[in-house]
Amino acid sequence: MKNDILNQSVSQKSPPLSVQDLWVEYKIERGMVKAVRGVNFDLRKGESLSLIGESGCGKTTLGLALIRLLVKAATIRQGQITYRRDGRTTDVLALKERDMRYFRWRECAMVFQSALNAFNPVLRIWDQIYDTIKAHDGMSRDQARESALRLLGYVQLDPERVIDAYPHELSGGMRQRVLLAMSLLLDPQILILDEPTTALDILTQRTILDLMKRLKAEMGFSMIFISHDLSIAAELADRVATMYAGGIVELGPVNDIFYRPAHPYTLGLIRAVPTVTGEFEDLVSIPGSPPDLIDLPSGCTFHPRCPYTTDRCRAEEPVLTLYEEDHAVACFHSDQVRREADVMWKQQDHHAAGDM
Amino acid sequence: MSSTTAVPRTAPQRAPVLYWIRRITSNFLVRRLAKALFTVWFVTSLIFFLVRLMPSNPVEVYINELIMYYSLTYDQARDQAASLFAIDLDAPLHKQYFEYMGQLLHGNLGTSLRSPGTPVMKIIVAFLPWTIFSVGIGLLVSFTLGVGLGMLMAYKREALWEPILSGAASMLSSIPSYIIGIVLLVYLGVYWGLVPIHQMRGSRSPGIQPGFTPAFIADIFFHAAMPIATYVLATIGTWILSMKSSTMSTLGEDYITVARARGLSETRITTAYVGRNAMLPLVTELAINLGFVVGGSILIESIFVYQGIGFRLLQALNTRDYPLMQGIFLIITISVIFSNLLADFVYSWLDPRIRIGGGE
Amino acid sequence: MTETTVRGTRTTFHWIGGLFLALGTFLKNMSRNKIGFLGFLMFIGFVLLTTVGPKLVPEANRADLTAIYQPPSREHPMGTDSQGKDIWAQIVHGGLDILEMALLTGVISTFIGITLGSLSAIIGGRLDSFLTTLADVWLTIPRFPLLAVLATLIQLNSVVMLALILSVLSWAGLYRAIRAQVFSLKERDYVEAAVALDMGLRHIIFSEIMPNMMSYIAISFTFSMTAAIYAQVGLVFLGLVPLTRNWGVMINLAWTQGAIFFRDSVYFIMMPVTAIALFQLSIVWMSRSLEEVFNPRLRSR
Repeated sequence: MKNDILNQSVSQKSPPLSVQDLWVEYKIERGMVKAVRGVNFDLRKGESLSLIGESGCGKTTLGLALIRLLVKAATIRQGQITYRRDGRTTDVLALKERDMRYFRWRECAMVFQSALNAFNPVLRIWDQIYDTIKAHDGMSRDQARESALRLLGYVQLDPERVIDAYPHELSGGMRQRVLLAMSLLLDPQILILDEPTTALDILTQRTILDLMKRLKAEMGFSMIFISHDLSIAAELADRVATMYAGGIVELGPVNDIFYRPAHPYTLGLIRAVPTVTGEFEDLVSIPGSPPDLIDLPSGCTFHPRCPYTTDRCRAEEPVLTLYEEDHAVACFHSDQVRREADVMWKQQDHHAAGDM
Repeated sequence: MSSTTAVPRTAPQRAPVLYWIRRITSNFLVRRLAKALFTVWFVTSLIFFLVRLMPSNPVEVYINELIMYYSLTYDQARDQAASLFAIDLDAPLHKQYFEYMGQLLHGNLGTSLRSPGTPVMKIIVAFLPWTIFSVGIGLLVSFTLGVGLGMLMAYKREALWEPILSGAASMLSSIPSYIIGIVLLVYLGVYWGLVPIHQMRGSRSPGIQPGFTPAFIADIFFHAAMPIATYVLATIGTWILSMKSSTMSTLGEDYITVARARGLSETRITTAYVGRNAMLPLVTELAINLGFVVGGSILIESIFVYQGIGFRLLQALNTRDYPLMQGIFLIITISVIFSNLLADFVYSWLDPRIRIGGGE
Repeated sequence: MTETTVRGTRTTFHWIGGLFLALGTFLKNMSRNKIGFLGFLMFIGFVLLTTVGPKLVPEANRADLTAIYQPPSREHPMGTDSQGKDIWAQIVHGGLDILEMALLTGVISTFIGITLGSLSAIIGGRLDSFLTTLADVWLTIPRFPLLAVLATLIQLNSVVMLALILSVLSWAGLYRAIRAQVFSLKERDYVEAAVALDMGLRHIIFSEIMPNMMSYIAISFTFSMTAAIYAQVGLVFLGLVPLTRNWGVMINLAWTQGAIFFRDSVYFIMMPVTAIALFQLSIVWMSRSLEEVFNPRLRSR
């Protein structure tokens, strides 16, 4: 099910990561959970792509699948994950376990949400950093220590104090920063961040976000970050992909997604987030609840909750196709959605102007 | 905006004495040591009051015995009793108590009633090492095997033998230790004749000279084999099941997934990440278990006629040799307290979270 | 018939019906765990054996010196002992002491544990610190040697006395466990909600905390039963306690008479040993089912 989703400009010619038709499912007592269904996307060099969706939509499973760290019960049923760096191309799904181990963290590092319990409680931070280096590089111990100190300083921690500390001696925000520093240790090309700020308080969130913006600007890696929080996407992302029931339903530049959404689910998500100037009537939550991933609805998986549903939606599942330049959507009624979005934003502007 | 809030490493300027006092008293180990000392005092006092205030006051009983069987006068009997029990019967109770404590601190536990002239301490010193030897080796083997098996079982939960071993472990841990000892004796020794139990009586063979010779070492292991086997079988079940459950819950921790995402080798993860963390709760269990095993030595040693302190205690009980009873009980309790303290030390070395009183 | 009589009869029927329903639910919950159910059946079996058995099987009083250490036969299903007495009869008659003591100790020590543990957790403060320190100290004292020493100082010839002493000696473990449980329950949302809604201390203790602790209490109870059996049989085996008809006594006799060391007399030693082992196992296995029974999440209202 290949699509020419992208107009390939120079920077898009050899993207570091290409995912094609990825299907992940896992078996539980009740049946087969189809967690990821036919996902296609490219991660372009230096970009930050945000995967947005409700809990249970498959975004974390997708992230784990990219580094093949799924639970035993899960299988990658089909698909292709292609990784490119310095002219080399790697088929990630074909890697042997040993090579996969090298791939993890060095080429692609995944940082999980809540670093609260991300560290071994009985080892010092330095020991854990050195563990990581020993498992990959041939760096000498002194080089490694220098590198570590430098990175810890980069994430605005006091390097000497933190490096010899035990995890329980650091606060949650500090641990998150240490984890970020560690993730950059081996100079990966791709960074996957899963809900990086969810478990933190508002002030620490702000710090981490600013830090991430800086890192992204200065270090040039490509980033996928997974979140359910649209506002973070608005700040950090270059492109956004909305996921629903295991599939990508819309994919495009961040401005397009926000101001000119083409999928009812995306529109619903935007509507559900209160703005500072917005009125209460503007808030509309998406009716219904996420579908059962074992027993999915027929046709378009979103149709039970969609205000634009027609018979076609019930019978046929829409495929992610190009709608405008660099903006793809999986819906039969994108024009309607677009009109609705225009109306909504005009209202917003009115309110903002009216309150002045 | 850099702010690190680690524990301050430099003492504050004002009132440094108070600071150090607080740091010392909040230290885990210091508190444990204090508690251990308090327990020792508590137990010695308890024994004192038990012996003196019991309805069938052992001292009075002994005095009556002396009068009846040896035709001593009351005063003579009382003097003899006083010296043997290492107390002054004239003084009021609280004075006796202090004298008793004083004697203890000098290592004088009294003199045995039934082996006249032999200080209790001497008897204890002759018998205690055997118990320490057998119980120590038994626990060591049991712990190592149990922890290893338990961890293996947590990793290989789908294997066929896993539930069988689990069931066996569960059964072993429910059956009293002395029952296991008897079963071993009856079947291995008598019914199937696999083991020469008659030669294994006692803690060593009479002909062999003590010393660090291979012959002697082989001999003492030969004699201690059955008690050790009993200790191992009686306690291994608990270790296996505890370690299995602890490993299973550690495997589910976030930092294990992160460690895998970091590309660490499975060996490193199993030892330093899973192993060290899963073992922590077991170290505390070791301490509790130890008291129990030492307490059971009185039964196990009697079954195998192994001359350890438990065996000697039973003899003392049967012959109503009160000073010896008292002394042995005290020493057993002190050994347990001391071992618990040791276990606490090991625990604080293994788990950095409790080393200083408080974290962030 | 007057109205009250009719109502009375109806209430009685309700009561009986309710009893049957409770029994049915109880059995259903017990059977959720296969091993637990097996343990439960075994336990019931032992109870019947030791209580009803003695009425059916005559005591082994006749010494028959021509039939010493006989293997099992139709006449003597478990063989005979050193005096030709039937072992089966001795087993049947020898369990009651143990059962009584186990149950009694279980009840008393669980009671002490619950009282002290809950009071400590609920009242807190000085009482809590004092009791906890005392419990810590108490726990390090090796229980069995202390019992053995006490046995020589006090006359322990009645089951009640033994149960009492044992309960007093083992209060610390249960106290700790119950206290920890009450602490964790105290913090739970539904308890806090009940406090905020001012539902009364009695309601809070009996309708919110207790039901959720029942499985824990049941387990503590079985625990203290196994500990009691260990202690009692151990003491009797060592000859420190002058109880007569008792499996422990059988083992003691076998030991002192050297029955352990001969192949022929193996039944004399192994029968009581097996009985004790199986009895302990049945209690331990049963506790798994008890957990299910008392688990409030499974109870259907």
